[in-house]
Amino acid sequence: MFASIVSYGLAVGAVYALIGITYNVMFSASRVFSFTAGMLGMLGGVLGALFITEWGLPTIVGLVLVLACGAVLGIVTEIVTVRPVLKSIDQHLYVLSTLAFALMIQQLTAIWWGTDARPFPRLIPIGPGWLDQQFWLPMLACAVTIVGLELLYRKTLIGRAFLAIAEDAYAARALGLPETGLRMASYALAGMIGALAGFSGAEILLAFFGNQAILNFYGFVPVALGGMGSNRGAVIGGLALGVFQQAANFLVGGIFAAVAVFAVFIVVLLLRPEGLAGAATARRV
Amino acid sequence: MTDATASGPVRVGERSLLGKLEGSVSWILLGLVGLLLPLLDDSYIGVIAQRAYIYWILSAGLNLVVGYAGQIAIGWVSMLTLGAYTTAALTAGTATDPWHPYLALIAGGVIGAAAGVIVGLPALRLRTFYFAMTTLGFATIVTQVALAWKSVTGGGVGTPGPVFPWPFDPGWGFYYFCFILAALATWMTANIASSRFGRALVAIRDAEVAAEASGIAKPRLLIAVFLFAGALGGVAGGLFASLQSYITPDAFTFEISVLFFIAILIGGRGSILGPALGTIILTALPEFAAPLVQWSTFLYAALLLVIVLVIPGGIADLLDYKNRRPLEQHREIVPRPDLLGRVLGGDGRSRGKSTIALRDIELHFGGVRAIDGLDLEVRSGEVHGLIGPNGSGKTTTLNVISGYYRPNAGQMTLDGAELPFALPHARAGYRISRTFQTPRLVGAASVLENVMIGGTVHGHGTFTESILALPRHRRDERHLKAAALQALATVGLESLAQVRADRLQHSELRFIEIARALMLKPAFLLLDEPAAGLSAEEIRRLGNLIKASSREGVGVLLVEHHADLIFDICDRVTVLNLGKTLAAGTPNEIRSHREVVSAYLGA
Amino acid sequence: MPTSAPNPMVEPLLKISGLSAGYGKIGVLNGIDLTVGAGEIVALLGPNGAGKSTLLKAISGLLPRTGTITFGGQDMSKTGPREAVNAGLVHVVEGHRVFTQLSVHDNVMLAGYGMKGSELGTRVGEALRFFPEIAEKRNDRAVTLSGGQQQMLAVAQGLVRRPRLLMLDEPSAGLSPVLVDRVLAAAAQLRDAGTAVLLVEQLIEKALKLADRVYALARGSIVLEARTNEDDLPNRLEHAYFGQDVSAPLAS
Repeated sequence: MFASIVSYGLAVGAVYALIGITYNVMFSASRVFSFTAGMLGMLGGVLGALFITEWGLPTIVGLVLVLACGAVLGIVTEIVTVRPVLKSIDQHLYVLSTLAFALMIQQLTAIWWGTDARPFPRLIPIGPGWLDQQFWLPMLACAVTIVGLELLYRKTLIGRAFLAIAEDAYAARALGLPETGLRMASYALAGMIGALAGFSGAEILLAFFGNQAILNFYGFVPVALGGMGSNRGAVIGGLALGVFQQAANFLVGGIFAAVAVFAVFIVVLLLRPEGLAGAATARRV
Repeated sequence: MTDATASGPVRVGERSLLGKLEGSVSWILLGLVGLLLPLLDDSYIGVIAQRAYIYWILSAGLNLVVGYAGQIAIGWVSMLTLGAYTTAALTAGTATDPWHPYLALIAGGVIGAAAGVIVGLPALRLRTFYFAMTTLGFATIVTQVALAWKSVTGGGVGTPGPVFPWPFDPGWGFYYFCFILAALATWMTANIASSRFGRALVAIRDAEVAAEASGIAKPRLLIAVFLFAGALGGVAGGLFASLQSYITPDAFTFEISVLFFIAILIGGRGSILGPALGTIILTALPEFAAPLVQWSTFLYAALLLVIVLVIPGGIADLLDYKNRRPLEQHREIVPRPDLLGRVLGGDGRSRGKSTIALRDIELHFGGVRAIDGLDLEVRSGEVHGLIGPNGSGKTTTLNVISGYYRPNAGQMTLDGAELPFALPHARAGYRISRTFQTPRLVGAASVLENVMIGGTVHGHGTFTESILALPRHRRDERHLKAAALQALATVGLESLAQVRADRLQHSELRFIEIARALMLKPAFLLLDEPAAGLSAEEIRRLGNLIKASSREGVGVLLVEHHADLIFDICDRVTVLNLGKTLAAGTPNEIRSHREVVSAYLGA
Repeated sequence: MPTSAPNPMVEPLLKISGLSAGYGKIGVLNGIDLTVGAGEIVALLGPNGAGKSTLLKAISGLLPRTGTITFGGQDMSKTGPREAVNAGLVHVVEGHRVFTQLSVHDNVMLAGYGMKGSELGTRVGEALRFFPEIAEKRNDRAVTLSGGQQQMLAVAQGLVRRPRLLMLDEPSAGLSPVLVDRVLAAAAQLRDAGTAVLLVEQLIEKALKLADRVYALARGSIVLEARTNEDDLPNRLEHAYFGQDVSAPLAS
């Protein structure tokens, strides 16, 4: 039972971690938290099941299509819901615009895909137990994403431009960096990461339109606790959250697990609003 | 002279009375329709109307949270869920012995109030998105618990809702119950909205630092509002459970939250009629568009997106004809320093002498020493100028005195008694008021309301008294309004009292800030570059006003770049450089001070 | 000294007329007229809050503005910073805002974002050659640099595109006198190489020594324009700064 708690917990936790990274990538590029992170995760599962189970496409083609859809949705998010409200970012209208967009996509999914959870195909028939795809696939996806992002940030000029914009968008603009293009690219990247999260975790979470709200919240918890913009915090926090949740589910039941996560979330944020690992920022008068 | 002051308030009074009437007509019509609706004897319409009333009871409270305080509480549907399950479970006796339905409804309100505070707490400290996410998370968790706690909630199968006995038994009795409670909710929220608490909420939303400087304690006020909004949500939930007659977790979809939000946004932030109409229309609309039912959430979400992107001000802004009327083009600000005595209360000589003293103040930001061992005294009846190059610590010093920054070392006293660090909202209690480098005003509120915010701490009535419009609340309002008109006349802007602040010119905003600061009847007035962006003539008038207020006994600290203004009106001048005093003395001493000239000229 | 006198027959490199700008409702600049000739160093002086930084931001397009800006014969009144940079009008903003988490080399490279790889490599080397002390640290993260070195890095970033006009906003702020001279010497070197410089500076004497011409800005308007070799300049500047009669420039 211990093994199953840990393996299941780590798998779900890896999905949370990836959603957390999705939040971070969008935030770094625009100082905007977008409710589309959970939507991307939800769609990763639904589209994967659609392409592979329903349409019968080969797994690899299905995955590429899912990532492409994620990228396109990321770009649409940037153009439709983020860019128009960036000028007055203090009014926080992005909270509502991204939420509205995410809900629209969720409802389209509910209408066309249905409101029932459907199974996600087993892609690599090995297992059962530890070797089962549902356990290692999310972890693998998470590892690939982290390594990929690291290479991007360290080895490519566009990756450095992402870092530059995240640190000081004004200076980046003055240097003549193509701010808008880079922001769109970041959102496309976030779209792919979010879709990958959903795709890799869908055998556990199923292809279900209702995953959106759950992923939105549980994917945000590690970001809030680990400090926003910190991918390391998101990964550690996500895995810990996943294991804690599974342990509580098995040992004391779902009510307690849900309430406990929420209580920890609120208490930590009230005591350390910048997150456990984040640094405090000075207020401006 | 007396004519001008006497006729000003009267004219303004008439206009707002007319405005009140315009508003009342809509409410009276709505009320009549509600009262007479049962005559149609159409139970289908009755059910729709009941749902609209129930939703409005919740959104009336949420309107204070979202529309007034500007807190994006997107998961407020959780209050509906909690109230519904509390009332239903207590009535059915699944957790305790069965309760009387009316008592259970009250319990629903109490639970809602408690949950409102719990969900609201993060808003006191956290950034907007974090708070939005907390409310969303709470809604998710409440639904998960409702599903999992089968013994009490019936899990996914559900539980029957309460049936209220006579006089509000099912049918038109229950209809009137909902109607009365909706009317009550409207009345109470309208009372709050038009009170000093309502203005304080808007100030927290649009000009938080100015709200603090006016002595508004954000935590207490927000907790009161969350409590009230949560209670209304809980009561709405109890009624909802009864209306549904059987509740399952599915009944409380996130879509309802979105509906509340659209109603408030489309109606316009800071309006009550708008959101009420919005709620009624959005509740009724899907009923008459049956083929679209499955698309309703999609359409709501699309509508929300359109509102946010296209008309963030809501319909209320579009319909605000009064504020489209063009203002006079060439307006002049003619302050009346002679009125200062009345605004400040009593005559200057009767006010005691007092002194704010800073000793050895040090403040570091990271490795940078913004203030590096500063001594400074501000005395009543004097204008003290603070000048120096950029980054020399002028505004930082002002922020230390007004409690925004906590120095790393040093002492600050007011007449020998310690003046506590880092408590901005406590400064109003010491009658220390200030203005800001960039005017911090509520653009969507009228000039008069903006100025009234400055006198918030002079009110005596409590939040509860304001909810119920008790006599002390009405007296507070009368006094604040009279004082604000007086302060506006003093700075020469009473003719603009009813205009939205965001329509004014920059120079007028600066003078409004001074009027707001005067509302505190300040012993000390801290001015942060009040002359920036003013014309030469305006600067001269500003100088006279500042000078006159110091002659009335106010101690003025003036941070300014305009050397000529400083030298004209200051009694004493301190020059800062790199966080230290470079020179201090009379204007004449400073003018001939070689080092000062070189600090300014960099030679 | 190379020829830097603006020739009235030749169209100046940068020509600004009737430029106004501000932040929201607060008008900071009213109707600025200013020119910079090719290969000329022009100092922009003025008391605090006069609008010097605002003027640079308005020229480079970091702030919305009205009025006309012509640069190298091209109308740039409506363009943003990216177009300005591409045209050779580079603005090194106030406060040595480099990217502290990136290496010195990467910081300079980003300034040439969009250029071809090999070309970019050459330009980065060229820009770093101006400042040997930071070229040595090319692989260190910028956070490890001192304030003065960060300022050099910021100037080096500005050089990558071989600008025709470099706008420097208070490059001396927070630097020790030695470093100030280093940074300002770089400006002189640039002029010798044919680059025009528009310099905002608090240290008036140093600025006057370096520049060919000077503008003084007070209360959002140009109150003085002079060649630096004219007589009695310091006194005239002081007069312009303190504005003996306030009502003059804004009396309307």
